[in-house]
Amino acid sequence: MGSACSRKRDQLDNEDSLHRGVTRIYCKSGSSKWLVTTFSKPAVDMQRGKGQCPSLMELCIYKTREDIDRYKTFSMLPRDITQQIFNELVNSHCLTEVSLQAFKDCALQDLDLGEYPGVNDNWMGVISSQGSSLLSVNLAGSDITDSGLMCLRVCGNLQDINLNCCYQISDYGLQHISALSNLTSLSFRRNGTVTAQGMSALAGLVNLVKLDLEKCPGIHGGLVHLRGLTKLESLNINWCKTTTDAITDADMMPLSVLTNLEKLQISCSKVTDAGITHLKGLQKLSILNLEGCPVTAACLDSLSALVALQCLNLTRCNVTDDGSEKFSLLRNLKVLNLSFNEITDACLVHMKGLTNLESLNLDSCRIGDDGLANLTGLQQLKFLVLSDTEVGSNGLRHLSGLINLESVDLSFTEVTDVGLRKLAGLSSIKSLNLDARQITDAGLAALTTLTQLTDLDLFGARITDSGTSYLRNFKNLRCLQICSGGLTDAGVKNIKDLSSLSLLNLSQNCNLTDKTLELISGLTGLVSLNVSSSRITAAGLRHLKPMKNLRSLSLDSCKVTANDIKKLQSSDLPNLVCFRPE
Amino acid sequence: MRKEDTVKLISAEGFEFVIDKEAAMVSQTIRNMLTSPGSFAETEHGEVTFPEISTVILEKICQYFYWSLQYARGKETEFPIEPELTLELMMAANYLHT
Repeated sequence: MGSACSRKRDQLDNEDSLHRGVTRIYCKSGSSKWLVTTFSKPAVDMQRGKGQCPSLMELCIYKTREDIDRYKTFSMLPRDITQQIFNELVNSHCLTEVSLQAFKDCALQDLDLGEYPGVNDNWMGVISSQGSSLLSVNLAGSDITDSGLMCLRVCGNLQDINLNCCYQISDYGLQHISALSNLTSLSFRRNGTVTAQGMSALAGLVNLVKLDLEKCPGIHGGLVHLRGLTKLESLNINWCKTTTDAITDADMMPLSVLTNLEKLQISCSKVTDAGITHLKGLQKLSILNLEGCPVTAACLDSLSALVALQCLNLTRCNVTDDGSEKFSLLRNLKVLNLSFNEITDACLVHMKGLTNLESLNLDSCRIGDDGLANLTGLQQLKFLVLSDTEVGSNGLRHLSGLINLESVDLSFTEVTDVGLRKLAGLSSIKSLNLDARQITDAGLAALTTLTQLTDLDLFGARITDSGTSYLRNFKNLRCLQICSGGLTDAGVKNIKDLSSLSLLNLSQNCNLTDKTLELISGLTGLVSLNVSSSRITAAGLRHLKPMKNLRSLSLDSCKVTANDIKKLQSSDLPNLVCFRPE
Repeated sequence: MRKEDTVKLISAEGFEFVIDKEAAMVSQTIRNMLTSPGSFAETEHGEVTFPEISTVILEKICQYFYWSLQYARGKETEFPIEPELTLELMMAANYLHT
């Protein structure tokens, strides 16, 4: 019989996916247990809107989940069907150590148990019984120990192992996977016990393409064991440090032979300009993350040798104007993050020729209006962050020709209403952050041509009821924040028809009443709503009943108690997982 | 009901189900058989034999076809599945891309 299930390897890239991480939190408290089943419904279920008919296959799988206690084994089923049953049980949090037994010897290929509650060594027997069929296993956040890991030895075809946040695994455990030479991807983030010596277990994994050791503070000195892993394309050693130890220049030396590296992340290490010289030969390197490293503009000498380099993160480094002329050599850069460096307009002069730049982050740099003149030729620019800079209205004229701009952050700048007129022609802008006190209704009036806007942050801008009338032009708005206190219920009338909204923050507007909730009750797409510090009362909560998608609700400093919200949650808001007061 | 609007589905035991073509086409597999020109004998005779699907399962599948049509028209009822049939039904559903 035909196979209907394709292996979804991509999902494994999603190490930080919120999905099950959130549910795990809620699993631990019994009273919130219902949230587990409602919030973690399988993807197919979530997508299934009204009118879309569930397939017979889906119905059978749900039925199997309901009756899971009936089944002693699924080993007679084709593997792709068993895989779907397994995934359904995991996604709905119905898999237990007992029901797991039915999956013994099922020749499953993917066991994604990342962040699944209760996974420990007792589960390893069934996991390893998949034998040579098993290609990918995710045990992130489990209580697996070194001896549990031993079971994986028989799964010789494993390509992908995720052991993030498995705090009980040590050097000894890594030895057990040292012979799994088919591994292409290995991740054990946040492991505090693995040492440089333990890293020797990785030396034989010659097919590794992706290795993720983020927040493993003990591995410095151990990268030398990676020298033979010449197929490595992605290496993450971000945040491998303690107060005393860190990745240093010496650790960079063994990386110099890993010439297939395309992505290297060494943020928050003690690597200096001297260490970066070892990377010169990495001709395929396209992404380099040096966030928080004590490197200066002098490292640009080495970086200019990296012909493939497209994304460079230098946020919170020691870059100054001194030596910044070397930026002009990085002509292939598409993404450059220089935020939180002591650079001035003098540095921006050297950005002129970086015509491939699509994203530039200058957050909290000491740049001003004159510096922006150097950006006029960067026609590919889509994302620009100028937050917390000295940029003011005069500077914005230099942006008015950047017709591809999609996202501009002007929060905490000196930009005024008058200056915003310069942005009026940039109709490609989708996201605009104008969180600054001197922005008022008049500024908003100047921007009504930006009809593509999906995200508008006016958090601290002094918007009043009359200003809200301009919001009617932004029919595609998904996120809106207006929190400076100037709104009353009358202004909310202009918000109630923005039917694409999924995030709405109207907190600090202390004159808003229950009428506001009544007005916005038709915004059923809302996922997050914040009306804290207002005159909302418990009586107004009933207007939120139609908001079936609501996951986050903040009504702090209102006349609403946690119990009021809990009642609403259990009667009408099944997706609400996060609320305040709590 | 005109003959060309119906198809005959035949179970492993030889039991015949005559159902609307529209219903049968809920199955991607059957749809392919009935619509790909020339390549299947089924196209001409309006008959499909399933040597691996038992009568009781095929009956259930026909019920699903009609349930599915109703569902699409807004009548969103539960489709009952007997626990003892689930696994066999699942294998058939997998084969029929249903």
